Amino acid sequence: MDPGGDLMNVWQWFTDPANWSGPNGIPVRTAQHLFISASAMLIAMAIALPIGLYLGHRRVGTVIAQNVGNIGRAVPTLAVLIILASITIIGVGDLAAILALALFAIPPLLTNTFAGLADVDDEVRGAAEGMGLSGMQVLRRVELPLAIPLIAAGIRTATVQVVATASLAAVVGSGGLGRYVVDGFALQDGTLIVAGALLTAAISLAAEGVMALVQRGVTPRGLRSLSTTDQPMMDAPKVAS
Amino acid sequence: MRRLVAALVAAVVVVGGCAPGAWTPQSTRWIIATTNFSETNLVAQMYLQALEAAGIEAEIKQLSNREVILPALEAGQVQITPEYLGSFTEFLNKRENGTDAPQIATGDTAATYAQALPLAKAVNVALLEPSPAQDQNAFAVPAQFAREHNLTTISDLAAYSQSAPITLGGPPECPQRPFCLPGLEGTYGASVKEFVPLDAGGPLTIQALRQGRVNVALVFSSSGSVAGNDLVVLTDDKGLQTAENLTPAVYLPAATPPVRQALDAVSAVLTTEALQEMNRDVEVLRKNPRRVAEDFLRANGVIPPAQ
Repeated sequence: MDPGGDLMNVWQWFTDPANWSGPNGIPVRTAQHLFISASAMLIAMAIALPIGLYLGHRRVGTVIAQNVGNIGRAVPTLAVLIILASITIIGVGDLAAILALALFAIPPLLTNTFAGLADVDDEVRGAAEGMGLSGMQVLRRVELPLAIPLIAAGIRTATVQVVATASLAAVVGSGGLGRYVVDGFALQDGTLIVAGALLTAAISLAAEGVMALVQRGVTPRGLRSLSTTDQPMMDAPKVAS
Repeated sequence: MRRLVAALVAAVVVVGGCAPGAWTPQSTRWIIATTNFSETNLVAQMYLQALEAAGIEAEIKQLSNREVILPALEAGQVQITPEYLGSFTEFLNKRENGTDAPQIATGDTAATYAQALPLAKAVNVALLEPSPAQDQNAFAVPAQFAREHNLTTISDLAAYSQSAPITLGGPPECPQRPFCLPGLEGTYGASVKEFVPLDAGGPLTIQALRQGRVNVALVFSSSGSVAGNDLVVLTDDKGLQTAENLTPAVYLPAATPPVRQALDAVSAVLTTEALQEMNRDVEVLRKNPRRVAEDFLRANGVIPPAQ
């Protein structure tokens, strides 16, 4: 084994125009990767955000919201993927991958959304109610703006996890950048494996960068100084009153 | 170096169950070596029971793979192993004539057997009569699809694909392997519109065939999952795949007439269909391979019926 030679092979792979076109080219595989990831995130957000907002606003279900997050992190995505793929109405292909990744993304979204709302200071809520705001108005005008940094952090975390994990889609006959890694193992082609791994790492870092900008963009100006760091879950910034 | 390591491994494994000193047909128990592969264990069980029924004491030892078993067989440390004709022939061919040696195994069982005999003899191995049972790469389609379009051979499928290009499933390496996509397109002239990378005849492949994600997929011809899932293996009428008949390989001094007779009796009744059923029993239904082998041999009169 000559590591220098291997790196040269990887460089040659990336500079070979054949790998930049056609159904197995980098642009097509990247587009598939992003399609699978985005679909999974949309499904997960459609499920987790309303539930998190409701539970957080009503301050009920603390145990559920927190434990879904913990249990979710213990669920092996690969196993879920294979189980889904072997269910006849889902089957092998994109759908199984999208559903498995959506399940994977729900816990951080739900936990962070819930925490963002539940951590809004009681005195702030009390003041809003005292001014005569209805429950819905409190949610929209007071709780949501204060919770946005944490909700956005949840979306960012989930997105990066999903983009990084979407490589597994290739295991069930779907596309994406994981195709290079899985095919590389099947062909015992180390160059292909490393190239696929580098591409997956690159797209995950790019997702992290984009989502950091989005998080900053959606955060109300007054909270920005408090939300520049990626807060750990359940650890909302305490709002000075 | 690799061969030395393999021989050492084999020696260490075997020493535990084998009396010291040279092995002779009279002196000790016969050792049937198998790989860590469920099908060869099943066939080894059949050899074992057939030998025992003929009054020959034997036992099964599981070694890892051909690289380990062959040196042990050459040296007489083990005496019998179930082999796959084409793969074994090519293994001997590459070892004898170099890794670049042209392929001599073909889809023709008799021709391949004739090529293999002298190569085997040169390494002290008697290759007995091949059984009709084959475990080779094969193309399977759903039974209903085969009925609708009247498909029994791969040529039929190629003809059908001219008007309706097919979707093929197989292991990810399929597009690069002559026996898979290139063979289907080159040797048979089939028109393949899409290749879906799955696994080597495993659960994903079966699932993709059942749900109609692919029309045809690469499987192993004796696989138990073919038997239970309403699939049809298409006949390889142009001999794309090498013949992989299960064939007993025996240490030459151990290939005595009673041993040959016992093992030939097993080979005579072993068919691909029977092997599919038995693999399904063992791998899917989790039955005991010893019982599965016993029931099969009794039903076919190789060993006497139970008292």
